[in-house]
Amino acid sequence: MKNFTHHRDLILNLARRNFILAYKGSTLGILWSALLPLSQLLVLVFVFRRILPLGIEDFPAFVFAALLPWNWFSNSINSASNIFLVNRDLMRQPHFAPRTLVVVDALTNLLTYLISLPILLALLTLHGRGVTISLLFFPLLVLIQGILIVGLSLIIATLNVFYRDVAHIVSVAVMLLFWFTPVFYQSKIVPEKYHFLYTLNPMAVLVESYRAVFFGTPLEWSSLLLSFILSVMLCGLGYIIYQRQLHDIIDAI
Amino acid sequence: MPEILIAEGVSKRFKLHRNRPTTLKETVIRRLTGRYDNGSTTYWALRDVSFSLEQGRRLGIIGHNGAGKSTLLRLVCGLGRPTKGEIRRMGHVGSLLELGSGFNPEMTGRENLMTGGILSGLTKGQVTASQDEIIAFAELEEFIDQPVRTYSTGMYLRLAFATAIHFDSDFLVVDEVLAVGDSRFKQKCQQRLRLLRISGKSLIIVSHDLEQIRALCDEVLVLEEGRVEIQGNPEDAIKCYADLMRRRTERRAAELGIAIRPNLKTEQGIRLGTQEATICAVHLLDGENRNIDHLISGSSLAIEIEYLVQRPLPDMALTLGIFSENNVKCFETSIASIRTTFGQLAEKGTFRCHLPELPLLAGRYYVNLSLHPMDWSYVYDNHWQMHPLQVMNEKTMLAYVSGVVLVRPDWSFRTKE
Repeated sequence: MKNFTHHRDLILNLARRNFILAYKGSTLGILWSALLPLSQLLVLVFVFRRILPLGIEDFPAFVFAALLPWNWFSNSINSASNIFLVNRDLMRQPHFAPRTLVVVDALTNLLTYLISLPILLALLTLHGRGVTISLLFFPLLVLIQGILIVGLSLIIATLNVFYRDVAHIVSVAVMLLFWFTPVFYQSKIVPEKYHFLYTLNPMAVLVESYRAVFFGTPLEWSSLLLSFILSVMLCGLGYIIYQRQLHDIIDAI
Repeated sequence: MPEILIAEGVSKRFKLHRNRPTTLKETVIRRLTGRYDNGSTTYWALRDVSFSLEQGRRLGIIGHNGAGKSTLLRLVCGLGRPTKGEIRRMGHVGSLLELGSGFNPEMTGRENLMTGGILSGLTKGQVTASQDEIIAFAELEEFIDQPVRTYSTGMYLRLAFATAIHFDSDFLVVDEVLAVGDSRFKQKCQQRLRLLRISGKSLIIVSHDLEQIRALCDEVLVLEEGRVEIQGNPEDAIKCYADLMRRRTERRAAELGIAIRPNLKTEQGIRLGTQEATICAVHLLDGENRNIDHLISGSSLAIEIEYLVQRPLPDMALTLGIFSENNVKCFETSIASIRTTFGQLAEKGTFRCHLPELPLLAGRYYVNLSLHPMDWSYVYDNHWQMHPLQVMNEKTMLAYVSGVVLVRPDWSFRTKE
């Protein structure tokens, strides 16, 4: 029990510290965490309404509902590469398990996501959409995405200690994945023969599911289940890779 | 007493890469071409190290730089795994290694204290409970809510030490203790370490300061090139350490092709060294610069050391000490780098050390001198008990005194009225 409390306190303390450090000293402080996705939103809305109209209803809320979880994912995955390398100090503490860093980072970025949520809810209200009962599934989606992020981050963080190319590969992969994830378009318009690719991309499924939760449309449970299984498997794989290399990580750092 | 830490046949091998982070490309090419040799060599930082620590004991670890002390400490703390052998810990380790390394300069002292405490294995509630005590111990009440970057080095270390030492652990690993803060705070730390001992905590201490090891430890482990040379009582271990220094010097001399004669044309005492640099003459001078071999208690002494560099050396270190006849160190001074202290090392010259007053009691003393390479791993030239100094009493010594330090006791007497 003491162990559990200790780990919880450790993770919360480090996440809080990361969060405070990110915004300490800047005038706008915590507002920055909302300003960044807002600026992305403005650009996407301008491009896909004025330049290449996609004709999607309530487009700002449509994009924002997907953009926020996408940012959670991409920020976490990108910072995972160097997470062991930049936290050498912490890794040299006798009782510190390096995997904690991965969880802390996922949590810090989740916090950024949650802070921007009121903006999304305001957008929905502006479109005249109320909150529906399906919002109750939101925590479930956060959980699945959390497992996915932690699993992938463990793999990336571990490999990057030994092969510094991983960081570069990851940033390219994340950039490409953005286009294969229906953030600013609907997966409906994707030709039928590519659909299986989308069901195999947990981020695509999650992004669509978040949208369903906020817009009150039905969830696709079968693909969500598949994503859940994939996420758990990735997490297990990540844990195995990490656990095997743990001692070498500490020597190599 | 039960054992709290056992190391059995611990060896640790490191890979030394020519060009550290491997790239994916290299790995792929190596796999494809079937050549596994990428120029990396391995080296054993520890070889078959076994020792044990009983509860409540204090173990000192000494060894020359690169002997494997830090590697051993890290393994003891559970950082990394021995390549061979095993380390068993029967308790919670507290570490004073890399003091304050988990601190963030932007956060306040209080926030860092919380993080530090949780990192050492506590819950938030437990840290909150002992927070005031820690702040009081570190004497930082006024500054605790300032960012740590505004702290002086002393304040930073005080906070780190106070945080680290307050948390309950079964044994503590301490690297170069008490290099912390001013002398008063050092006293406090020593006090604290003594208290820990009384409460049955074990300690592992690494230090270069042999005096400190002698004073603090029950047992001492000497490491040499990754091997345990001896584990025993402090006196034996320190003797063994000095012996190692002599052996290294002989080995070095053999490499240079110099035959070491144990008593290198000395009338008395022991002379040792590779003679890459030599002390060719030593003069003991009184206040009027006259050569002397005896001295009145409390008067001034100057020591002049003429040296000659036999083969080109970039730099060297020098120590000068005064020891009593039975080898008690009365005083020692050293210059870690001649070059940074006096500039470019000349081929020959004379160092002069002036002691305005030498408060020693009457007796026979020796001025011992040595020249070392920069890492103190062996000696160029060591004069041990070669330069005697007879100290005489002042004329008017009323009461009997003994010891080494000159004090003038003033006795008086009265009857009860």
